[in-house]
Amino acid sequence: MKRLLRIYKPFTRAGLLEMVAYRVNFIFFLLGEIMKCFVMFFVWKAVFDSSDSSTLYGFTYDNMVVYLFITFLSGYITYSDGSYAVGKEILDGSIAMRMIKPVDFDMCFMFQELGGKILQLLIVFLPITVGVEAYRWITNGVFMLNVPMFFLYIVSLLLAYGINFFFNVIYGFLAFYLKNLWGTDIIKGVIVGFLSGATVPLAFMGGFGQVLGYLPFASLSYTPVMIYMGMYEAKEIIFYMSLQLLWLLIFVVASKLVLKSAMKRLVVHGG
Amino acid sequence: MNNDVMIQVTNLKKEFRKTIKEPGLKGSFKALFKPEYETVKAVDDISFDVKRGEIIGFIGPNGAGKSTVIKMLTGILTPTSGECRIDGKIPTENRKDYVKEIGVVFGQRTQLWWDLALRETYMVLKEIYEIPEEDYNERMAFLNEVLELDDFITSPVRTLSLGQRMRADIAASLLHNPKVLFLDEPTIGLDVVVKDNIRKAIQKISEESGTTVILTTHDLEDIELLCKRIVMIDKGKKVFDGELSELRRRYGQMRELGFELKNSQDFSKLSYKEDFSFSDDDLSVEQSGSNIKVRFNSDVVTVENMLSYTLSRVHVKDINVKDADIEEIIRRLYLGGGEQDETTASHL
Amino acid sequence: MLKYLRLHKIFIKQYLKKLMEYKVDFLLGAIGFLLEQAVQIFCLGIIFSTIPALCYAKDGVVLDSWSFNEVLFIYGFSLIPKGIDHLFFDNLWSLGYWLVDRGDFDKYLTRPINPWFYVLCEKFCVDAMGEIIVGVALIIYSTLSMPADVSGAINWWRVLPVIAVMPFAIMIFTSVKTGTAAIAFWTKRSGHITHMCYMTNDFAKYPAKIYNGFIKTAITYILPFALTAYYPAIFILRGEAVWSLPVTVGVSVLLFIISQFIWKKGVSAYESAGS
Repeated sequence: MKRLLRIYKPFTRAGLLEMVAYRVNFIFFLLGEIMKCFVMFFVWKAVFDSSDSSTLYGFTYDNMVVYLFITFLSGYITYSDGSYAVGKEILDGSIAMRMIKPVDFDMCFMFQELGGKILQLLIVFLPITVGVEAYRWITNGVFMLNVPMFFLYIVSLLLAYGINFFFNVIYGFLAFYLKNLWGTDIIKGVIVGFLSGATVPLAFMGGFGQVLGYLPFASLSYTPVMIYMGMYEAKEIIFYMSLQLLWLLIFVVASKLVLKSAMKRLVVHGG
Repeated sequence: MNNDVMIQVTNLKKEFRKTIKEPGLKGSFKALFKPEYETVKAVDDISFDVKRGEIIGFIGPNGAGKSTVIKMLTGILTPTSGECRIDGKIPTENRKDYVKEIGVVFGQRTQLWWDLALRETYMVLKEIYEIPEEDYNERMAFLNEVLELDDFITSPVRTLSLGQRMRADIAASLLHNPKVLFLDEPTIGLDVVVKDNIRKAIQKISEESGTTVILTTHDLEDIELLCKRIVMIDKGKKVFDGELSELRRRYGQMRELGFELKNSQDFSKLSYKEDFSFSDDDLSVEQSGSNIKVRFNSDVVTVENMLSYTLSRVHVKDINVKDADIEEIIRRLYLGGGEQDETTASHL
Repeated sequence: MLKYLRLHKIFIKQYLKKLMEYKVDFLLGAIGFLLEQAVQIFCLGIIFSTIPALCYAKDGVVLDSWSFNEVLFIYGFSLIPKGIDHLFFDNLWSLGYWLVDRGDFDKYLTRPINPWFYVLCEKFCVDAMGEIIVGVALIIYSTLSMPADVSGAINWWRVLPVIAVMPFAIMIFTSVKTGTAAIAFWTKRSGHITHMCYMTNDFAKYPAKIYNGFIKTAITYILPFALTAYYPAIFILRGEAVWSLPVTVGVSVLLFIISQFIWKKGVSAYESAGS
């Protein structure tokens, strides 16, 4: 483990430096993206105002607000664009240079990305969690953050990041077959967003939502968010986190297999 | 204003503000909270004139401020102070009128539509410059003849070779028959035969259309074959402006005498300057250990006299005499420019 | 002016030719967009399945309410000016993301046409047809789904003044993009600022009354996207907010002047790339 950290430290550092350099752009981009949450914040308020009951599918308005922002936050923290890096290096052939170095090439991307996340924790994670908790505290008069649940949330979030990372590495290898990832990227984004419950909680979708809950997409953000909100009982937490672990394993193995077959192609092409 | 003068540059200056960033993580964080700036004088008080129909070579080492001057002349950058006029027009005052008089080729960056057939680019340019059908056809025929575009005019630009692309780019910049053509590194990355063709074409265009050409290049052969006159700048200042032949006259009589002393202490026995009363311009002496290099003007003292003087005073192991060629002259001029080092950066 | 119209036509033609070379990319992009809208509308449907109508209430008193069909109508309407701006003037994004940063803006300055116009019309974004088609389809669908007495009460003559004001609504999008993209002339990159301002148009897809005073003012006067969607849509539906039509013209002209001012200043501060 120590060795691992030493080898990949430069990559982490590079990721952090890059993030520092682009911090201003990042913050503006973030502000633009979070706008959608505020739009929905008001839409949901109007929806709850219009409803006779104070809960919809088990969600109160406060739940909904927390759901909105924590889903956004989780999406950001677990976001991975390894697919771009992998796709680009495959297309211009520079991936060959990675292959000849004594480091795992997917790990290089991961640690570089994690380096960038260090700063993101500061400018995304902190303000949003503090903001959400402050909101709950003001509207309910009690401090609602459940510390053990918060830790479980972090663990679940890390699992989600892993799943997302390897999912995207596999997707990036599609660059071998699709010369351009741009169009498919939009489609991927929409499908993943919808199936992971980013727009509307899966609970709102009835039996269909239940099925979606078992898919890897739900593991990406729905599971951690439900844990954060304390919507899951102990039994459910164990079940859904095991499911996350299972998906992670599946994607790791699958990405190794794809990598192997891609290497063969690389040799055939002469890289 | 003199009618013969096409381009008039007076006291042109351009300053940029740059962020100073220290290396490493610490530097990045420092820049995050307390950014420091410095002002860089990219172009510092440059003046020159170019006559109608002239081809001038605009040269200087990397980072000398060449492209900054060109960008101000083409109306891309606004000067900090001073002005440039082309045929009496000032680029920043009436940009649209001004750019109709000029054609620009940046060797490293194409102005052609990447995904379209070459002909399409010319059709669009015809509209942009409002070229009448008749003029367009005539002009196209001429450019076709000089630059031989016919072979690839229907191919998409991205499939052209570098040489074809450069010919196409030059034609694109000349469609509207501009009075001045700016060529920034037009032969960069091309092989010898292609370079030669492009030079011939430029020559022919200048002769037949009377186009004034400003050429920047790192390839001194371009200069020797195309330009009578050169303007050289370094560190934002003009260091030479004159005929190529004058450059040769001024520095061309320079010879380089190189020899190796048997005993390096003997160097003190040689006092060329005093014994021959050379002026500063006509002599330079370099010593590194027992190796001596003497550059001198052979009009002042003949090679024969220099040799016999040297051999009569010291024992040498080896000796040689070299001509200074144009490349050598310019290399020396660059170095000479480097010596008058002055800080152009001031911290704010 | 005529010259510019003719040029624009030529650019569009060239762009379509280029598009034909990249059919697959275009198709995938279009499918992606349609899918995105479908998901959005599906989710709106889910949200509205829980309530009879969207209400705006204060202190428990319902002050105004919109049926699902009316919300769909507003949502669909919002896509039209946005889509038209997107169709014709999408290239402003590249200014803030890379044209200035890489020094590619040089090209636009060495041509005898207005560089702003040149940037604007160089790209013709056919993907935006998706937005416009979805918008029109939603308007038609929602109108047909309304109870006959509601849709029968709509005075369709009100569409005429809305169409007359439409160019000004489109110009709101274009000016916001121009002004923010021009910041790149000083900072090299400003695409993210454009993104941030542009995203506020999401607020305009829903009835402006549901927002608090601050946001309502902001989307009416500062980044006035509500003028491009909610107000004209509700004017057609109910004849409300007549005042918004002249305000749209005024605010739009003002924004245009401000954005042109920033642009002009920016161009003279442009530093190109390299030495």
